[in-house]
Amino acid sequence: MKILKYILIIVALVLVQKEANAQCVPTESVKVCIPKLASGFHFLKSYEINGRGGRLDKVEYSYPFAKGTMYMVNLCSPEGGNKGLVVTLYDATRKQLATSVVNGQQLQAIVFNCQSTGIYYITYTFDNSTSYCGGSALGFKR
Amino acid sequence: MKNYLPFLLITAVLSLGSCGSDKKDEAEAFLDELDEGIDTPAISEETINDILMQVPAPLEISMLMKESGSAYDRSILSNPDDVSKYNTTFKRAINLGIYGTDLIYTNIFGKNQEGIGYMKSVKELADDLNIGQFFNLRLVGRLATNNDNLDSLMLITTQNFNAINRYLQENKRANLSILFLVGGWMEAVHINCRMSIANPEVASLTERIGEQKIILENIMLLMSFYAETDASISELYEDMKKLKAAYGSIEITYTYAEPTTEIVDGILMIIDNSSSTVHITPENVIEIDSVITDIRNKLTS
Repeated sequence: MKILKYILIIVALVLVQKEANAQCVPTESVKVCIPKLASGFHFLKSYEINGRGGRLDKVEYSYPFAKGTMYMVNLCSPEGGNKGLVVTLYDATRKQLATSVVNGQQLQAIVFNCQSTGIYYITYTFDNSTSYCGGSALGFKR
Repeated sequence: MKNYLPFLLITAVLSLGSCGSDKKDEAEAFLDELDEGIDTPAISEETINDILMQVPAPLEISMLMKESGSAYDRSILSNPDDVSKYNTTFKRAINLGIYGTDLIYTNIFGKNQEGIGYMKSVKELADDLNIGQFFNLRLVGRLATNNDNLDSLMLITTQNFNAINRYLQENKRANLSILFLVGGWMEAVHINCRMSIANPEVASLTERIGEQKIILENIMLLMSFYAETDASISELYEDMKKLKAAYGSIEITYTYAEPTTEIVDGILMIIDNSSSTVHITPENVIEIDSVITDIRNKLTS
């Protein structure tokens, strides 16, 4: 009987471990996002969005944008499309420039026509997300 | 024995959970050997990765050169046949970055056959650093035979370099990642300077050199953490201080203005109404070029 109990504990451990691993695989979402960059945009960087099951309320990256260049940041969610994911762009002084939620509508991407060189912050947050997971690609066009 | 049974079983299960990572472990062990003696700097891994992610891809600078109408100039690139000279981890990592930028430069100008030479050198250095698995030489070679595949070729190259960076960072070898990125960045600035000197009337080339002041400040910050514990990085850091001094008089001014937005086909278009100005002179470019040439000569000797 004791042996049976141990086996049950082990099975439970295996399941918990598998569940933990299956929770968020941002690389898969990144793979979906890269080819979704609009025509004419060249891929620059990919960003993994892992909210650790809701423990993180935002995931942030920064990148130097150059004057005279257009940058596209798109969103891909394992829940389909860009579901549950929001991207917000801030300038170097942390002023919010724009967010992908407009009038309650979650948009799939933002395009920033940069006229001032500097470091910009790309912040990912979650809105009605169940996975707290996703990927994003950054592309540029001159 | 009965009392130990559950612990043995649980240990076995947890061990099974890590199956499949043997190859990664071997790679990690190899990298450990390479970096023996290097202490981890007193800064969080997250901060290091944040700064590393800020180093711009050489593709962006190289693309500007092509669009500016500048002519392709092979003589300003590093010699791909020098690969055998690079026999230390430091030299391999930094020249991997240099060759990577040269490869992208040849790709953008459609010099695919020359690009294959760089690809082979990149692959050789990557193999030496035990990160050769990120390059599929056959696929790249096939794409390089046709200029119609240029976008695919650049995409694969950029993806490979991003994968290398991620791998090095995940395996706690950010010091190699720094060298790889610094090498690539410095080569891009070097090419940019030469293009700007040859085409002084193209303001965008000169401005782009000045804009690199922002990147240089971050690179210097990053290197300062490692300079304390890594002798090779420390020497490079001292040389980079001269580059920082050359950038001293360059100023970038920024004026904020509220952006305007509109939605087009489900995408938010943001029009930046802010502006920035780079204050840089042709003399600044010549000085930066001179300092970079000195550093580069040391790195490629």
